[in-house]
Amino acid sequence: METNILGNMNLHNNSPRIEIKDIAQIGLMVAVIEVCKAALAFLPNIELTSFWIIMFTLFFGWKIVAVVPVFILIEGAIYGMNLWWIMYLYIWPLLVLIAWLLKKNDSAIFWAVISGTFGLCFGALCSIPYIVIGWSSGGFISGLRSGFVWWVAGIPWDFIHCGGNFVLMLVLYRPIRSAMNKIQAATMN
Amino acid sequence: MKNNTKKIVIGVVCLVVLVALFAVIWTKFGAKPTAGDKHITLEVVGSDGATTDYTLDTDAEFLRQAMDELGDQGFSYEGTDSDYGIMISSINGVTADYATDGAYWSLYVNDEYGMYGADAQPVTDGDKYTWKYELAQ
Repeated sequence: METNILGNMNLHNNSPRIEIKDIAQIGLMVAVIEVCKAALAFLPNIELTSFWIIMFTLFFGWKIVAVVPVFILIEGAIYGMNLWWIMYLYIWPLLVLIAWLLKKNDSAIFWAVISGTFGLCFGALCSIPYIVIGWSSGGFISGLRSGFVWWVAGIPWDFIHCGGNFVLMLVLYRPIRSAMNKIQAATMN
Repeated sequence: MKNNTKKIVIGVVCLVVLVALFAVIWTKFGAKPTAGDKHITLEVVGSDGATTDYTLDTDAEFLRQAMDELGDQGFSYEGTDSDYGIMISSINGVTADYATDGAYWSLYVNDEYGMYGADAQPVTDGDKYTWKYELAQ
């Protein structure tokens, strides 16, 4: 019932195998992200994806490496693999990397600032493909200009994204952290 | 603990500075709606069948706002506001009184009978709006 494809990955029991339990957890994490995303779809730029990706990175370690690609693939399968999908390929892994590097911090305000900043910069990060497209068709300056115009047009939405991410993290960090601590303790037993 | 507080304060300050910077960039470089993006025609067919045409470049979202803007060209209207929007009673000084004459002002959009009143009728580039004095059959 166990596979041995990722080597020494199970940080909970130091077992060098991926267990069925790990796969189930990965599936649940993706489901939680997808359900929250669908539930909040009516509120533009208010999302829990950033929150969950940060929390899962902090509490479930290496499993996020499987969660994010699965989430991105599901999103592409549901909504079509258009330009926004290319953005997802680097934006969410970047958030995982940031959370991973800062994982020693345990303050709701700290993570609210990180999540808010990520939301604020989301549009700027998304403008990268427009820079590349503009560059390929009209030179580097033209690419920069098209990326800049695209980013600036969406700044009000980035403000909403920033505020939403900040408030959601501030409010949810403590209760979800204590729930996750319980889950972690239960899974280790 | 002290180190953590310092880190958080620096983070909050950075976020506030970033928000301010983005706001300045958006104010300076953001696309502003240019006056008169939508070109529309408003036609008035009076009680004698005479037609008066007005053209307008506007950013109005709804027809009433465009009608207000047409005041500069001599267009005028009166009406009564209600929960359902304005009921037009008079256009260019011609009053349609349903109670006495069985007359009313009806709105056509691109020569088709309108589905909305002046408050709710969206303004679309290139459209023709007609206020027509009509008598009940």
